[in-house]
Amino acid sequence: MAVLAARAPPRRKGRPPAVHVAAAALLAAAAGLPAGQAGAQGAVEYAVKANYLYKFGPFVGWPPRAFHSPAAPFVVCVVGSDPFGPTLDEAVRGQTVEGRAVRVRRLAAVSADDGCNVAYIGRSQAQSPAEAMRQLRDAPVLTVTDQSAGVDGGIVHFVVREGRVRFTLSLSAARASGLVLSSKLITLAVAVEGGS
Amino acid sequence: MTLAGALTSRRRLSSRSLLAIALGAALFLVSLGLAVMNERAVQAEAVRQANVQARILAGSVAAPLAFDDSDSAQGYLDALRANPAVEAAGAYDAAGRPVARFLSSGRAAPDHSAVGPPAIAGGRVVVTAPAVQGTTAMGSVYLRVRTEGLSGRALRYFPIGAVVLMSSLLVAMLGASNAAIRDAHRRLREEVAEREKAQEALRQAQKMEAMGQLTGGVAHDFNNLLMVASSGLDLMDRSADPVRRERIKQGIRQAIDRGANLTQQLLSFSRKAPLKSEVVDLTAGLAGLRTVLDRTLREDITVSIEADPGLWPVELDPTQFEVALINIAVNARDAMANGGMIRITARNVEASLDGRDAVLVSVTDTGEGIAPETLPRVFEPFFTTKAVGKGTGLGLSQVYGFARASGGEVRAESQVGEGTTVTLVLPRSDKAAAAAPAVRPAEPRDAHGRRHVLLVEDDDRVAEWVGEMLVELGYDYVRAATASGALDQLGSGQAFDIVFSDMVMPGEMSGLELARAIARSRPNLPVLLTTGYSTSAEAATAEGLPLLLKPYRIEALAQELQTALQGGPSVRR
Repeated sequence: MAVLAARAPPRRKGRPPAVHVAAAALLAAAAGLPAGQAGAQGAVEYAVKANYLYKFGPFVGWPPRAFHSPAAPFVVCVVGSDPFGPTLDEAVRGQTVEGRAVRVRRLAAVSADDGCNVAYIGRSQAQSPAEAMRQLRDAPVLTVTDQSAGVDGGIVHFVVREGRVRFTLSLSAARASGLVLSSKLITLAVAVEGGS
Repeated sequence: MTLAGALTSRRRLSSRSLLAIALGAALFLVSLGLAVMNERAVQAEAVRQANVQARILAGSVAAPLAFDDSDSAQGYLDALRANPAVEAAGAYDAAGRPVARFLSSGRAAPDHSAVGPPAIAGGRVVVTAPAVQGTTAMGSVYLRVRTEGLSGRALRYFPIGAVVLMSSLLVAMLGASNAAIRDAHRRLREEVAEREKAQEALRQAQKMEAMGQLTGGVAHDFNNLLMVASSGLDLMDRSADPVRRERIKQGIRQAIDRGANLTQQLLSFSRKAPLKSEVVDLTAGLAGLRTVLDRTLREDITVSIEADPGLWPVELDPTQFEVALINIAVNARDAMANGGMIRITARNVEASLDGRDAVLVSVTDTGEGIAPETLPRVFEPFFTTKAVGKGTGLGLSQVYGFARASGGEVRAESQVGEGTTVTLVLPRSDKAAAAAPAVRPAEPRDAHGRRHVLLVEDDDRVAEWVGEMLVELGYDYVRAATASGALDQLGSGQAFDIVFSDMVMPGEMSGLELARAIARSRPNLPVLLTTGYSTSAEAATAEGLPLLLKPYRIEALAQELQTALQGGPSVRR
């Protein structure tokens, strides 16, 4: 893996640094990820997920109210315990969604007024995932839950299939939030709930 | 064609060939340019299509690339199998690693993405496209497409090639046929030139032959006339009988008249003698003709002349008319070796000459006739059926020339063994016939009762005889041998009533120039010119100067002097 990373091509002008899953995994490993997700396998998994979080953005039709102003950034929130660490910050650096810069916010508790566009709901002392989900139910926020974290109910739900990070989608939840999911995204989902 | 002409023609020919070659080359270049443009357009189109395909592919694989779904990506790439032109394809994630690849032939897609401009090489287009969702880069795709097979290109170029080939063939054929036509044209011109040369040679030969006949005929006729004159003079010396002398004198006179007629015929033939037309009544002219014909023809030939009463007046030269009738009669005589009859008739016929009234004068003989093949040629100059020395071939051509000059025509009909009729068709004149000019004696007016003539004549003998005639007519005369001598005489103070001058004289000044000089210095002094030379006569008549043609008789001299003194221009032979 290290060899592969070393052979990564030089950075190209105007493009973000290529985020290598292997490199991300190494970084994650170096950062000392929380217990429970320890080990190379877990590090790689979260590096991949960190890379996916902002990438859902382009595949979602956002209502105008999702952004406070034209210049507002695209905000990825991590609610509760953060399984990504610097990997996520690394993944979003220099990326844009809908022409907006991508920012990461880490919150103990979330509400509709926090300005999140994507909210990864983890376990939190301050707010239960269900409560977080309720807070965001009608807000134009793409909620993401993670099977590996024991949380579910998000519009996007990470699962692992055949050693790969995949996801299921809840179209009903998306509708409730006023979000339109791209068919391209839907075709990649391992399962889709609430399809009309 | 001359050598220079042939060379010019060849040069022109080669320039034409060059033009054809240049045209062909231009055609080739244009089609080459078209082919290049076509090729570029086709390549541009191929690149455009490949780009479109790559973008569609990039759009399709954006989501699989975003979420590392290589199976889905592979599915999209495998769908390219439907297009046989696609050789290889690849989908790469944001890090540039291949997520899925497709290969139908040739080299596989590269192991690492490199987004760049389209590349064309070896009939293949390589295009890349970034896979972007919204503004977020998800990766890239690579696509290699065969632009066109050999057969496709051949099919595309076949029509152009065929057109170029056919056009070139056409140009070549046109050039060749043009060259052939030019060559044929050159040969034709050469042939025409050779034929003209041959015809010219033939004409020359015919002219030489005619000249031989003419010389013989004229010499013969003149010898006869001279014989008559000579023997007449001898006889006059030996005879004291006034009656006989008178007869001999008339014979000599007749011979001289015929000689004059002969030279008139020559002049008339060469169209140099000016006609002097008058309105005449032919009845009187025909009556006068009888005596002439009686003398000209043989005794075994009977002449009858019948003129209808009330013949219309005609406008013609009486002398020429007389000559024409004598010529016809002489031919008739020669056609009747054993004697016969010549019948001359004159009658009015309405609308017989292109719708105009005309007087028809026919001369009919009972001779051997003219063969049909000869008939059309009898009026040609120098054409004669008579032996060399027996005829000039000018007689009937004078008839023809006279008829044409009088505004009429001449017709000939003949039956072999029965005889020939030659008819002069003379147009009716709407003017009244003038009375026959009377010879009037000069009317002396000065103190001595005589008028003064300055006679300019280089020939002493002619001057002597003309002087005698002038004295006979009641004039005094002073002779000058040259034009400058005449001017000296005029400047000496002596008064002259008229200058009577020859035209062709030795010295720097001709009679014509003398007349001009006198017209400038003494516009009131009349000048009468005389000549036997037709070119000079033409020059004088062209300037409207009074002219008396040699040889002339004393009556004509009297008439012309009188006319000139009264200020009327005239030409009289």
